[in-house]
Amino acid sequence: MSNLVVLPIIIPLLAGVIVALFNKKVAVTRTLTKLFSILNLGVAAYLSWIVFTTDSIILETGEWVAPYGIILVADPLASLLVLTTNIVAVACAFYAPHSLSLRQETHYFYAFYFFLITGVSGAFLTGDLFNLFVFFEVLLMASYALIVLGGERIQLRESIKYVLINLFSSILFVTAVAFIYGAVGTVNMAQIAERVQIQGQDGVLTTVAILLFFVFATKAALFPLYYWMPKSYIVPNTVVSALFGALLTKVGIYSILRVFSLIFVHKLELTHETFIWIAGLSMLFGVIGALSTNNIKLIIAYNIIPAIGFILMGLGVFNQDGMSGSVYYLVHDMIIKTALFLIVGVIAYVAGTSDLRKMGGLIHYYPGLGWLLFVAAFVLAGIPPFSGFIGKLLLLQGTLSEYEVVITIIALISSLLILYSVMKIFIRGFWGEKDETGKYEKKSTKGLIGPIVYLLAFSIFLGVGAEWIVPSVESISTYLLDPEIYIESVLKE
Amino acid sequence: MYKPNDLILRTTTSLIAFILLGFAVYLLFAGHNSPGGGFIGGLVTAAAIVLMYMAYGIETVDKVLPINFETLISIGLITAIVTGLGSFLFDVPFLSHTFDYFEFPIFGEVELATAMLFDIGVYFTVVGVTVTIILNIANDQ
Amino acid sequence: MTDNLLDVTETILDITLFISFIAISLSLILLLIRMLKGPTNPDRAVALDTIGINLMGVAALLAIYLITPNLNDVILLIAILAFLGTVAIAKYLEKGVIIDRDMD
Repeated sequence: MSNLVVLPIIIPLLAGVIVALFNKKVAVTRTLTKLFSILNLGVAAYLSWIVFTTDSIILETGEWVAPYGIILVADPLASLLVLTTNIVAVACAFYAPHSLSLRQETHYFYAFYFFLITGVSGAFLTGDLFNLFVFFEVLLMASYALIVLGGERIQLRESIKYVLINLFSSILFVTAVAFIYGAVGTVNMAQIAERVQIQGQDGVLTTVAILLFFVFATKAALFPLYYWMPKSYIVPNTVVSALFGALLTKVGIYSILRVFSLIFVHKLELTHETFIWIAGLSMLFGVIGALSTNNIKLIIAYNIIPAIGFILMGLGVFNQDGMSGSVYYLVHDMIIKTALFLIVGVIAYVAGTSDLRKMGGLIHYYPGLGWLLFVAAFVLAGIPPFSGFIGKLLLLQGTLSEYEVVITIIALISSLLILYSVMKIFIRGFWGEKDETGKYEKKSTKGLIGPIVYLLAFSIFLGVGAEWIVPSVESISTYLLDPEIYIESVLKE
Repeated sequence: MYKPNDLILRTTTSLIAFILLGFAVYLLFAGHNSPGGGFIGGLVTAAAIVLMYMAYGIETVDKVLPINFETLISIGLITAIVTGLGSFLFDVPFLSHTFDYFEFPIFGEVELATAMLFDIGVYFTVVGVTVTIILNIANDQ
Repeated sequence: MTDNLLDVTETILDITLFISFIAISLSLILLLIRMLKGPTNPDRAVALDTIGINLMGVAALLAIYLITPNLNDVILLIAILAFLGTVAIAKYLEKGVIIDRDMD
């Protein structure tokens, strides 16, 4: 039943509208949000199970055959990412009621939350470059609404920056799609790939490829286009930051992964070689940013940049291990970044500040929270046996087999510094004398810890259960390295 | 305060608003095979409603047209989505459409298509969004 | 004979269209100058309204030129939008508010 593919897009859309209808009754919207997000997780899990056990599912909407109509492609990579998105979304749905103020909830938070999920799932599932743009716009519209939710002065200032930079890159995106349409006469990704293969990737197409990379790199916050990202991601509420940090940049890097493994693979020495250097610089500058600040939210936001760098590095070396590492790291990072954002949200809430210099001794009051942060930091930095380790192991195998020694060293150093930057929160925030002045009277963290534990459980399962997961990831990378499979499954030749 | 004399505006509005609404319905139903459709029909309806607001003021029109336009957005979107979901019942690809010809007493033979239902959803959404935006801007003082 | 008459009619139509297009373009340019120059806002409002009417004329001429009935809806739409725009501007100039809370 090919209609299954559209469900992860349609269910959140319908849920968003229904939730908007009951906007004033907060109790109803909360329950509906939880129900719908769990339903959607179930559907996404079922979809990925079918895709992994049988084959990619292709939906040609309205019975228009592949190169002409709008198509949705649920291949292993897309369905895996949709599943991860929904795992993250469920955690945020359960965290949100305890973290948002009533005013934010009745300003259509849940509706826009669902529209964001719609856009993200759509961007993963579409098989059409123009529809990728459409779904980007859907998720950006929702994110514009979410980032100003609450309407504080600093939010408005940062959101102007955010909206402008995203509008600009959207303009470039449409232009690039138009150029591609002019050069090869189609916007269906499989057909573009086929035609680029036949007529060769000449100068025009490579230029368009670089333009597309620029667009996606802006969305994914790669060096040198990351300057807008960290501060805009920390100004909204914690849940919104977690959603943005986990999903928006990942959609950007997913698009790079898709376009540069399927379409523009004929000038590797020009495009993919550059990616390795951009990846290295992203790691270095992201880590420097994370080390330079004492704001705990900003530390986590800056940590997004090296993670994107790691994923791009795997694409840059473009071999089996590298691509497996990229896919694995993408999934790992979506989950752990959400968990970390939620953890620092709780820390900032219980400490009453997000400035590290004003904290200390929190472990006497919140031991559980401290150890959660400790585990999360280890997962993020890649200490065995956690999931970050497996991802980095695969990535470094990839780089070393291509004799890219410099990038390997940069990656190792930045991993260490990532660990330090997150441990800094633990050391400065949790260690220290017990504060006797009663500055931190015990605040209730009811309902906030559950979603974090749930996410960390998934993350640890990714690491400990690597034996079962890595073969699937390796099958995805084999699939990505051979564009023919995608083209044939879509165009059915 | 200076009180303008807008007798002409009010008189013409009661006539023109009806012409506009009729034109909107025409555009909505013409949209399947010729220029028009839910979007433009919705815009024209919104124009008629905004014209009434301009002529009679918010409180009067709210009494005459007790519609919550924000709810209208949701209703329109649900209509549009549910139309798409109809494909699940008939086991055809999402957004597939079909049409048939029917005989009606006054209109004669009429073509009815399932795409029409989707258009009606779009129509309500556009009316809701447009009027909500315009009223919000107008209220911002 | 009839063929000849048709040809003549077509030539006349072509020439008329040509002249009308030029005339409307000139008037649009003049209106644009009036709109930019002012000197007062009511002048600009009147110029804008007249531009709307001229646009309807252009659409009608195009419909004749392209021999299509599909532009009729467009003409109606332009008329509606121009009317609404003029009403809104007129109300703004007179009262400073376009949609009042309570009129009485």
